[in-house]
Amino acid sequence: RVSSDGKPPKFQPPPKPVIIDRKTQKEERRFLSPEFIPPRGRTDPLKYYIERKDMIQRRKVFNIPEFYVGSVLAVTTADPHASDKSKRFVGICIHRGGKGLGATFVLRNVIEDQGVEICYELYSPRIQAIEVLKLEKRLDENLMYLRDALPEYSTFDVNMKPVPRMDHEEIPVNKLQVRMKPKPWSKRWERPKYNIKGIKFELPEHKMKAAQKWSQPWLEFDMLREYDTSKIEEKIRKELSEELEK
Amino acid sequence: MMPIWTKSGEKHAVTLLKVQDCHVLRYVSKEESGGKTAKLLVGGKNVSPFSKPESAHEIFKEAGVPRKQKVTTFNVTDDAIIKPGTPLYAAHFRPGQFVDVTAKTVGKGFQGVVKRWGFKGQPASHGQTKTHRRPGAISTNKAAKVYRGKKMPGKMGNIYRTSFGLKVWRINTKHDIIYVNGSVPGHTNCLVKVKDSKLPTYKDCNKNPPFPTFFADGDEELPEDLFDEEIFQFTDPSVTFA
Repeated sequence: RVSSDGKPPKFQPPPKPVIIDRKTQKEERRFLSPEFIPPRGRTDPLKYYIERKDMIQRRKVFNIPEFYVGSVLAVTTADPHASDKSKRFVGICIHRGGKGLGATFVLRNVIEDQGVEICYELYSPRIQAIEVLKLEKRLDENLMYLRDALPEYSTFDVNMKPVPRMDHEEIPVNKLQVRMKPKPWSKRWERPKYNIKGIKFELPEHKMKAAQKWSQPWLEFDMLREYDTSKIEEKIRKELSEELEK
Repeated sequence: MMPIWTKSGEKHAVTLLKVQDCHVLRYVSKEESGGKTAKLLVGGKNVSPFSKPESAHEIFKEAGVPRKQKVTTFNVTDDAIIKPGTPLYAAHFRPGQFVDVTAKTVGKGFQGVVKRWGFKGQPASHGQTKTHRRPGAISTNKAAKVYRGKKMPGKMGNIYRTSFGLKVWRINTKHDIIYVNGSVPGHTNCLVKVKDSKLPTYKDCNKNPPFPTFFADGDEELPEDLFDEEIFQFTDPSVTFA
């Protein structure tokens, strides 16, 4: 620009470059296995610290991959009665429970028209390998309703090949809505207490309305039920990363 | 409570007991106590001295130790006497030993006869008038009295009970923790008394225990964790059956 004075224009410094650090952005999305988070209670935190040391010790020797409820896993366990002394089971993870060393996960599959569910302990020494064949999340944390869904939703090929996945991709959420067998079901999944989003309810309108009678809308405002785990999670993440690097 | 796995892949449940500031408080000789053996008074967890009068602090002052929440007696043979004031550690026990654990059970308050004594009660329907969890008859006609000790409703729990013959699987010397097989009476974080087992099957179980106790300032340098031989240690690879 030419200024009115005839002097050269005032020096404009160049705009500061905005540095987007991709590494820190990636670390924000680190996965912490749910069994590390201690439950609310009156137990001494020393007990959880010692349990965590044992869990980290096991993870150093045996790799427990990241997986969620809804991912397809293949687990090989040692079995003294099998011919090869090891058993392999492929299934979808429908539930992850337990805290600390007793953490379990339930795999479900339909083999020769028979539904089979096996509950494995994550830290059991009998488990020889855990492979994640398909890493994905579903709309719910608990897929127990697959027991009452049509069997096609629980069948997975036993010789399935692992689905390749890039490291930096976000974990895909499968928004599948599952169709159910006719009622009666093992649990009344339409009731708001289960808060299931992954079922395509084909029930008549009046039944869905009647199920809302059991809703407890005050529960989400109950302050005594709040359990903020963010700070605890940060501490545990730090501890984990330090120990696993050693 | 925590799971523990053996080398053959079996799972056992284990209770963690912490030895927190245990000191020997006083030695009572056989003649003084009037029993068959000498006694040692041992004190547990440290507690503030301000909630009790000075007269209660005499034992602790003699031993040179802060006020303890619980004081128990152990019957001890003459060769196992320890000087008052010595601290006791979890390394006093070794993995493979068998142990009895005594504690006050969880208090349930005033309870009825069905929960307290396991009575069957009465049917829920078929004409029962206001009688579903009552004791029913309490004595016979001929007795013409109710016997002493008749099971009736009352305060349940909060009494001392012992679990016998519990195996010690593992000892953590750094944090003074004993891993004991199975469950133990009492609520979480309650005070518990751990003794060598009195059961006849485990009489010869202690191969080389630290006698009279484990002294921290002694020559022995113990590793941080002591494991039983059968425990699967997490540093080993997964179990395989050959």
